[in-house]
This record gives sequence, C-alpha cells and structure tokens, in this order.
Amino acid sequence: MKRRHNPILTFLFAGLILLFTGGPVVLSLIGSVVPDRILLNSDAGLFDEGINFETYRYVFTGELPAAYLTEGANRAMISDAARQVPRSLWNSTVVAFAAMVLNLLLGAPAAFLFARYAFPGKKISFLFLILSPLVPTVALVTPIYMSLQAVGLVGTQLGIILVHTAKALPFTVLILSVFFRKMPAELFEAAMLDHCSRFQAFTRIAVPLALPSIGATGLFAFMLSYSEYMFSMVLSGDAETRPVSVVMAALARNTDVSWSLLNTGIFIAIVPTLLLVALIWRFAVEDLLGGSVKG
Amino acid sequence: MWSINRFPIAWLLPALLPVAFITIYPIAHALWTSLHQVMILFPVEPFVGLDNYKRVVTSDYFLDALRNSLLFTAIAAPSVVILGVAIALFLQRRFFGSQVIRSIVLLPWVLPGAISAVLWVWVFHPSFGVLNGLLLNLGLIDESIPWLTSPKLALYAVVVAHVWTQIPFAVVLVMAALASINSEVLEAGEIDCRSPYKRFRHIVFPEIKAMVVVLLVYNALTAFTSYDLVYAMTGGGPGTATTLLSFQIWRESFSMYDFGAGSAVAFIVVLISAVLIIAITRALPSDLFAKEEAS
Repeated sequence: MKRRHNPILTFLFAGLILLFTGGPVVLSLIGSVVPDRILLNSDAGLFDEGINFETYRYVFTGELPAAYLTEGANRAMISDAARQVPRSLWNSTVVAFAAMVLNLLLGAPAAFLFARYAFPGKKISFLFLILSPLVPTVALVTPIYMSLQAVGLVGTQLGIILVHTAKALPFTVLILSVFFRKMPAELFEAAMLDHCSRFQAFTRIAVPLALPSIGATGLFAFMLSYSEYMFSMVLSGDAETRPVSVVMAALARNTDVSWSLLNTGIFIAIVPTLLLVALIWRFAVEDLLGGSVKG
Repeated sequence: MWSINRFPIAWLLPALLPVAFITIYPIAHALWTSLHQVMILFPVEPFVGLDNYKRVVTSDYFLDALRNSLLFTAIAAPSVVILGVAIALFLQRRFFGSQVIRSIVLLPWVLPGAISAVLWVWVFHPSFGVLNGLLLNLGLIDESIPWLTSPKLALYAVVVAHVWTQIPFAVVLVMAALASINSEVLEAGEIDCRSPYKRFRHIVFPEIKAMVVVLLVYNALTAFTSYDLVYAMTGGGPGTATTLLSFQIWRESFSMYDFGAGSAVAFIVVLISAVLIIAITRALPSDLFAKEEAS
C-alpha cells in the first residue's frame, strides 16, 4: 500500500511521540552527568561545568564524589541504596530468567493442547486462563503474602519467582497457542501416520519448529517479571536479594538523595532495559505483527 | 483438530495450578479475612461479620479514595486507548527513522514502575522540575506550578505518568490488529473512500473494534488497580488527593497491619472491577469472546 504523506507533518508527529515516550529517559541521562548544584540552580547553564561521571564511579566503586568530601557537605544526600543498583539488576535478571524458563516449561504443553486438540473442559479452562489476569493484583497481595509466609518463602527469591511465573502464565499460554495454531496441520498428520505419540509430536515437531516464537514468548514473561513491582516489594528480603524495582522505589522515596545520584541509578537500571527493548522488538513484536494475530 | 476423550490433566495442570493458586485461593482467602479481625499482633482471629467493611466504608478516606480511583480510571483508560490507536496508526507509515521510533515507543513498557515514577517526579518537580523550567523559560507562567503538591493537580500528574507507562502495550496490540486486516479490504477502501477520516471510521475501525474493547477493559482494570506510581510519586498525598482505593489496600495491610480491613478494601475493589468489566463490555457490544475462543 503506497500513500503519500506530508513529510513535515510526519516528522512533527514523530517528534512528538519521541518527546513523550523518550523524553523523560533523556532527562535522566542529562541529570546523571550534571552535578546537583547546576541542576538545582536555575541561573546556571546546564553544561557550565561540563559533564562528569563521579556519581557513576560512586555507584560502582564506592568512591565518594568530590563535592561531598568538602567541609560541611550534606552526607545524607549520598544514599547506600544507589550502591545496591548493580546488584539488584543482577537479582532481577536471575528472578526474571527463572520465571521465564518456568513459564515455558509449564505453559508450552498446555498451549500445544489448546491449539491442536479438542477435549472436554477445554472451553472452561481456557476462559479461566483468559479471565484470571483480570483479577486486580492488589487484591491478591495480602493472601499470597500470608500463604507464602506460612511456608517460609517470604524474603526469598524463590517466592518472587513462583508468583511472577504464575502471573505471566496466562499470557504465555495465550500467545504460544496462537503460534502453535499457525503451524501447518499436515506436519502433525504426517507425525500421526508415523505413529508418533502426542508427546513426541510435541517435543519432536512442535517445539523445534516454533523455537523462535517460543523465545519471543519467553521474552514477554521475562519482561513482565523484570518490571513487576508490587510482589517484588512485598516479598523481597534484605538488600542482597532485592530486585531492581524495589531498590529504585526506595531510592525515589528518599527525598534527601542527590538528584544526580538518583538519575545515575535510573540510568544504570535503564541500560539493560534498552537492550531488552531492542531484543523484544526484534524478536517478539515483529514476529507477532508478521503473523495474522487476531483478537 | 483431534479430540481427546478425557480432560488431559498431565498437560494442563502444570499451567492451571499456579494460576489457580494466585487467583481462586487468594480471592477465597480475602473473603475469609475480610470477615474476621486479623491483625499481626493478635493471635486470635475472631469472626466479626461485616464490621471490617463497615469500618472501611465509613472511614474518612473511603469516599475520597473511591472518587479518586473512578476519576483516575475514567481519564486514564480512554486516554491510553485513544493515544495508543493514534500512535499505532501513525507507525504504519514508513519513513526515515520509523524503525527507531517503533523501538523507542516500547521503552516505557520495560521500565519498572518505580523507575517510571522517578522519571516523572523529575519532570513534575515543583521547584526544579523540567516542565516548570520549560514553561518559565517560555514565559507562559510567572511562577512554578506545584504539580505534585497541589491537591488539584497531583492526581492529573499521576495520570499522565500512568498513561505513559501503559501506552506501549496498547500500541503493540493495536498494531497487531491493524496488521491482520486483509489488505484487499484496505485497497478497496482506498478506491471507494477519499476521506481518511471516513476510511478509518467505516473500514479500519470495525476491524480493530474487538481489540479496542479488550484494551479498554484491560486499561480500566490496570488503572483502577494501579498502585505503584502513586506510592512512588506522591505517597497518596497531598492529604488524600491521590489516595486510590488500591493504594489503600496496601496501606491498611502493610502499613497498619490491619489485614482484615485491607482485605475488605481488596474485596470492594474486586467487586467494583467486576462491575467495570461488565459495564464496559455491555456498553461497547462486540463479538469479543467468540473471537478469543477462535484464537
């Protein structure tokens, strides 16, 4: 479909979208390399003192920025929480990766059956899966917290992994069943003729052929877990195992903390996310858009 | 499609069980807790009937919180859907840099809510936020506007941040729906219908209507149950200006350790959400569930 568009309007609109979605992120990059006294001084030009990476050095090595070593400097503006950011990124990655693997292991067989077979109870179990994400998360926190506490999983990464897995499963099953359905039926008919069992048809044909789509779906599950905040906060334990969303919230709620340090924390947390965005777009979204996904 | 005679437990249970664990069981538990006096410090949990509900509903914050939640939902959900559709339609165009914009639009999606909140605090900050700086420099206002500390404006500031976090999901789903429209239909429309508005109204929109309804329901629920932005941006204040019902669940349970009252609020949220789902699906009739069955 070829249509001519006014190029000026196109770029204007594109610029607005960029400003709205990317603007706040660029602000944090600028904020992280400019010292507080410039940021908070409306008379000074933004780059009067150039840029510096002292706050980055503090986060990774613990070496205090020069501005806070001088006499009378406000030490409260340096928060230990910022130093937890790199560690928490790793924690989040571990949790999200575990949730992703569990999702695929538990979800793929169910998705395969929903896509390829008719069986009693199919409609009701599928509806149950579709409707379950509609239950508000906040209503689930207290009971889940109490039941996990009863089995001693509060404050452990395992608890967070289990909850994140369960929260992402409906989406995993839904998306995967769309992919399994798109595969040509002849493949499975041929497998039947060769006396393949259902399990063999799944492991030898469906899984290997749908591998890219399975990877894409896994990425969705990864992302859901990576950005989840409420359960992470309620269930996480000491500083060593805290995921990134919890550390960032703690940093943000601390009103004393230096702006440039806060922005440094944000930007360090964003970098892996940027990588994720690129990956998700490349594999997941273009994949979804390429196929005929409906409803 | 082959059929299986009995319910395939071994294939489905791994997926259904975790989902049931975080939906059916917690809802039942919340119902039980809301009818009892459950406080961490007291070992006995006497049955108190509807006392928790009575206490919650007659408390000072309840009406404010309910009104805030409904207002928040009524503004945020339609905004997300309208902006999402607009951006998705726009991103159909191919132009220099369109791939870059397609990726950047996803950025808010993968950022943990806490980070998004910090970014927006940075934009809205009363004394050195970017928005105020910009407006002052342009000469549009004479003195800084206290976006987050004024009772009138704080809620809207949080709405903007919330819309920002929800847009990518809407864009991706609408783009998927747009991509699945039969290209012959579009070409015929191109010939028959000159006005782009009419083309959207009569040809494109009917094709994506089901998706729009799904999105509206989904977004009404996310908005109604959203809690992390409020927690990280304003902490419910100033006063009760940004206290949402969902935030109150957290406050009752984990700040005051009154799990009975927390569960009562949670159950009220579940009931209102159910009413919202039904109302929205009734108001915008569509073949939604038939389509989801088919996918």
